Amino acid sequence: MVDLGRMGVERLVRLREQMRSQGVDGAVLMHGPHVTYATGHVPEAVDSSHANHRRAVAIVGATDGPARLHAHDPVSDAVSACAEAGGPLWPELDDGVAMVGAAIAEILGDVTGCRVAVDGVTGAMARAGVLDGAELVDASRVLGPARVVKTDDELACIDQSQRRTERAMAEARAACVPGATRSEVAGVFLAALREDDSKPGSDHRNEIDPIFQPMPSRRDGGPRTSTGHVAFPTGVDNPVFAEGDLVWVDAGVAWHGYMSDFGCTWVPGRTPTAAEQSLFDRWMAVLEASLTVVRPGATLGDVGRAARAVEPEETPWLPQFYLAHGTGLESAEMPMIGTDLGQAFDDGYELVAGMVLVFEPVIWAEGVGGYRAEEVVAVTDDGWRRLGHGHHYEPFRT
Amino acid sequence: MTSDLVLARRERVLGAMASAGVDVLVLGRQDNAGYACGMRRLWTAGTRPFGAGCIVVGATGRVHALSSWDDGIEPPMSFDDLYPLTWNPRIMAGSMAAIDGLAEARLIGVDELTPSFRRAAAHFSPEADVVAADDLMAGVRLHKLPGEVEAIAESCAAAWVGVEAALDAPGHADPPAAAIKALANRGVTVPSSGVRAERRDRGLAVDVGVICDLYEGGVGGLFADGRRLAPAALADACRSGASYADLATAAVSADWLVRGLGMGFEHPVIGPQIGFGERLEAGMVLCVTDGDRRDVIHVTASGPVALSDRP
Repeated sequence: MVDLGRMGVERLVRLREQMRSQGVDGAVLMHGPHVTYATGHVPEAVDSSHANHRRAVAIVGATDGPARLHAHDPVSDAVSACAEAGGPLWPELDDGVAMVGAAIAEILGDVTGCRVAVDGVTGAMARAGVLDGAELVDASRVLGPARVVKTDDELACIDQSQRRTERAMAEARAACVPGATRSEVAGVFLAALREDDSKPGSDHRNEIDPIFQPMPSRRDGGPRTSTGHVAFPTGVDNPVFAEGDLVWVDAGVAWHGYMSDFGCTWVPGRTPTAAEQSLFDRWMAVLEASLTVVRPGATLGDVGRAARAVEPEETPWLPQFYLAHGTGLESAEMPMIGTDLGQAFDDGYELVAGMVLVFEPVIWAEGVGGYRAEEVVAVTDDGWRRLGHGHHYEPFRT
Repeated sequence: MTSDLVLARRERVLGAMASAGVDVLVLGRQDNAGYACGMRRLWTAGTRPFGAGCIVVGATGRVHALSSWDDGIEPPMSFDDLYPLTWNPRIMAGSMAAIDGLAEARLIGVDELTPSFRRAAAHFSPEADVVAADDLMAGVRLHKLPGEVEAIAESCAAAWVGVEAALDAPGHADPPAAAIKALANRGVTVPSSGVRAERRDRGLAVDVGVICDLYEGGVGGLFADGRRLAPAALADACRSGASYADLATAAVSADWLVRGLGMGFEHPVIGPQIGFGERLEAGMVLCVTDGDRRDVIHVTASGPVALSDRP
């Protein structure tokens, strides 16, 4: 059972621990997930231009007391556990920044000579000299380490959002047939998500235009890429599915701000060929080998090596991405395994109980195509446990 | 979207940069990047951390964008104008160093300021001052090109598909779910503000905001027996030269807002607590909300023209 109040209080404690240990006196947060972490307020899942103008702002001092939240959207009761609410602010607008400056002064006092963590300074704030005299540091430096290890409530939220996404995806899969368009299948998914709410629309937020992308069977069969591999996820156009397609599916839905990550490969209107089934079998072998290594103290490098060991010919993930990434208030967080940050980074980064890993290996066979799916796990004291109900890999046979 | 429109926007951005003495623009906001380069990308909700999503270089007239593939771009942009997605700041710095005109820049405009970008810019553009240029982009986008007005009208027509579906939903059904499905069947799955529907004593209040081909459309109202109630007095007040007082007087509810609409939420923004010094100008396109009622209005020399009337 998720306790939203407890979750908010525990997050604020972790944020302040990071602020104090890094000598940060205050934080002025304007990036949605950061505001959620500090206050519990979850902004509406609207377009970025709307989100920017109608920003929620959180102001956090390094010492005790509630955080200050200024929001345009309605604020839920759970916020009161760790934040006090003020009126909406307009930090994007020149005639709105005087109130931003006043709110900061009210919570942080005179910031001259102070270290203040910020997500960014809007042009209007810069022109008005808001935060002038403070030493500014990137808020991700304090939010990143605070967020990477999840509380039990945070894990429960990810588990719930994953289950909800899986249920809606079952309906979308039935609609993914030859002749259907991507947007039609997306519509079935989005409507099913909404209808699954006890009070429709009350607590889930769709955060990504859902991806149902028919993939080419050869690397050069799609858009030109800088990696030499396939382009995914492109998120453009509205393809019609045809018999013979392998469709890569990717979606993310937030529950109380916490993201699901659903990845799968579908085969509209038929059963997979033997060659396609073989891709899936190899994908499962990579997943299982990776999970064997996952436990506290193992490094990201250990996990990556375990995955590569079963596919020695070619790295079994997309070159622009990773074998696995974290998830939480954003869909791709640390820790990330196998990125272009390099082996030394991976070897120096140890897993800790409470971290989340979304595995997304890709197995590719030129001429056949690729299999890609995602599996979400939490690192536990002695290994890992699955978040969500666990995949239905149909139409592939496990 | 036509390449002509993308080119016309690019010329406006380059012209504004020249007037302001800005050598390079680094745009992190999705809407500003979309305006400058025309690239369609995967939509994600909410704010994004600032990053170099799009770079406009005055000296070369070229527009560069962050992408590992050439899907979704419009001519004259080509694969060679792209720099790839990376998690590694050193690789990103290498990409920046490879962009002609960046190393010599004296003045870099950004649409949001972050400590990490200032640090990075000190390496790839050692001579440059980094200044806020959100106002430059807002100024460029303030008056709409004819092609933009057409695109907005088309998006408004798409929004109506959602409204009609919500109104037609049977009694037991969830109106927004019906709207979401109908919009998707027309190819529209990207929300601006999304779909809202609420039962009131007098009828069903519906509001739909979508983005099609980078441009926003929206409409809202209280509907009874399929008809939209309440005249749009505030929309009628949206005339060239109208002041804050003109708009505040015309508004009939305490919950009113007049704001720019184009590639999303834009300038000007005028409402109960904001925009006291603004004046409307011909060429603006405005999203005009007064209670449940929402219209999209093109301010022209001969008066307000509704772009969001029922098709």
